Amino acid sequence: MTSYVLPGQPIPLASQWPSASAGRRAYIASLVGIPQQEGPVLSISRVRPRPPAINSVVLGSVTRLSPLQATLSISVVDGVPLPAGEEFTGVIRIAGHRVKIGDSISLGDARSYFVTTARNDLGVVFAVSEAGKTMVPVSWQSMRCPETGRLEKRKCAKPE
Amino acid sequence: MALDRRRINGPEESFPPVFDSDALQWKLEDARKDRSPDDIRPIFLQPGLISQANGSAYIETAKTKIACAVYGPRQSKNTTYSEMGRLNVEVKFTPFSCVRRRAPMRDAEDRSIAVAIHQALVSSVRLELLPKSTIDIFVTIIESDGLDGCVASGSVAASTALADAGIELLGLVTSCAASVVGKKLWLDPTEEEARLSKGTLVLSCMPALKKITSVWQTGEMKVAEALGCMDACQEKCTEIHSVVAQALLESAKI
Amino acid sequence: MADSALKASIFQRLHPRAYLERFVAESVRPDGRPFDAWRDVSVNVGSISTANGSALVRLGETTIVCGVKAEIAEPELDAPEEGFLVPNIDLPALCSPKFKPGPPSDEAQVLSDRLNEVLSSTISLSSLVIHPSKAVWVLYVDATCINYDGNVFDAALIAMVAALRNTTLPKATYNVESGLTTCSRTASSPLKMLKTPVSFSFGVFDATLLADTTAFEEPLLDTTISVVVDENGDLVSVVQLGPGVDTGAADTLSTCISSAKTRRVVLGGQIP
Repeated sequence: MTSYVLPGQPIPLASQWPSASAGRRAYIASLVGIPQQEGPVLSISRVRPRPPAINSVVLGSVTRLSPLQATLSISVVDGVPLPAGEEFTGVIRIAGHRVKIGDSISLGDARSYFVTTARNDLGVVFAVSEAGKTMVPVSWQSMRCPETGRLEKRKCAKPE
Repeated sequence: MALDRRRINGPEESFPPVFDSDALQWKLEDARKDRSPDDIRPIFLQPGLISQANGSAYIETAKTKIACAVYGPRQSKNTTYSEMGRLNVEVKFTPFSCVRRRAPMRDAEDRSIAVAIHQALVSSVRLELLPKSTIDIFVTIIESDGLDGCVASGSVAASTALADAGIELLGLVTSCAASVVGKKLWLDPTEEEARLSKGTLVLSCMPALKKITSVWQTGEMKVAEALGCMDACQEKCTEIHSVVAQALLESAKI
Repeated sequence: MADSALKASIFQRLHPRAYLERFVAESVRPDGRPFDAWRDVSVNVGSISTANGSALVRLGETTIVCGVKAEIAEPELDAPEEGFLVPNIDLPALCSPKFKPGPPSDEAQVLSDRLNEVLSSTISLSSLVIHPSKAVWVLYVDATCINYDGNVFDAALIAMVAALRNTTLPKATYNVESGLTTCSRTASSPLKMLKTPVSFSFGVFDATLLADTTAFEEPLLDTTISVVVDENGDLVSVVQLGPGVDTGAADTLSTCISSAKTRRVVLGGQIP
């Protein structure tokens, strides 16, 4: 399978693919691209901005803080940056977990997407200290200002 | 007309030139001028020219020139929670796109064409995969030679732009117009031909799935004539589909 | 898109200023141009049959289409021997995610005003008179942005000037008895243009002068400068918004002016 398909076109399946013989007549493409088959997954990849979905990993900046929640302007979804001005609004609730920049778990309500940082690889990736310098993480819950040496509390993302 | 302070204004009133003789016109009995009755104007289609948009397409069919941009899926603003995505189509004419100047604000926008394009596309887009989101389709008509042709070409450009934007579609939509002139059926009428005809019809469909998405008929025609138009349009839509496919494949491979 | 390209675009998205700073430190711009390089210009005239004159201009990825429509009106009472030149630019929601549908944005209004100012030097309004106090030509010069990738002013001015130079007006006769103006189907003449101004715009980012800025660079600029030069190399207009910088040998403005004059000669043949 190396040739392009278009929306509405049946995807040519390799005969060893499990569902090829399962009675289904055809799988129809909904995107322009080259179908790829990995184990039981048949996919057409796209590098296009898209809205957050459940289990998406998002990046954004905190636009508003309250004791109960942080409002987030989401600008990268699943590693694909959204165009400027096309941000989605996310909310991290204190119950949903510790603090700041993280990722999406639920579709949320009409206004925003609910986001959590409750996983080791999720959390703050970039923060500026009170002195205005970019801080470096020192543990999963604190960052240090390179100028003043002061520690500030952040729930940091553990890099892969 | 009230003075619009957001624009450079001309005189309060101005009129299009009046000519000493009429433009050459041909009569009902005459044969069609440049093509046979079942020919459509040649299509030039180029996806992806608008780099600022998520997806785009430019279409030219003889004199008709239309640019289309797709933005989003964007977060729906000021609306209630919705499981289904929304498809928003806006059509704008440039002031110089028609024989009569289209003044901004007064008649630059055209809801009826937007509604027709929306109708042609909406059942092809997998909106159920895009909760809380809106897809904006903006169409600018740079030059128009017949409104039916603008609906058809605009729908083709918009479907191409949606595919270019990587938005999931059940199939590509193509669209073709037809008119009944006298007793004859002429495909893809120009503005002058549409004016001579007693009725026109625009058919939009997804040729890959053999499904019609919209039929838009105006004026009057006999049932048999309408059916004849639909048959002829459907056949042309399959040809147009291969033009769209070719354009999308070429731009995907770059 | 390769993984590294995607990572770079994420960095660009999240930290645009730092992203541009790193390029500037390497003496190059994100699109690969040196600081003083201009993007390619292409001009295509006369392709719109519903307009009296038209032009399609591309400046890099920025695309502008302009059409001139001529109509007839009564002149103003206090200016019986002057026609009207009415230039406007539209920045529709189609051309960039920056713009939303609706009335002209602030940016479009500012651009239209500046274009109007420069264009007023290109045509003598008295050449648009059909019959004094009774009938004059109104030239509606409408430009629409199709793709907004920065430096729209330069591109729009090229489009408007090229469309005007492409414009022909039918021979018009005013009948004193009937008060009507009739135009000939066969006889027409081109518009008389006094000059062909071209604009060259620059931006200052962190004390670095950049020519012909893109939509990514523009929001990060401290200063923008536009120098409009006619075909003889004479200045038509100079606009600077923001502070200048010390570039060493000369001040910013004179650097821009001499750069614009050099570029005007290069571009000369490309404006039909």
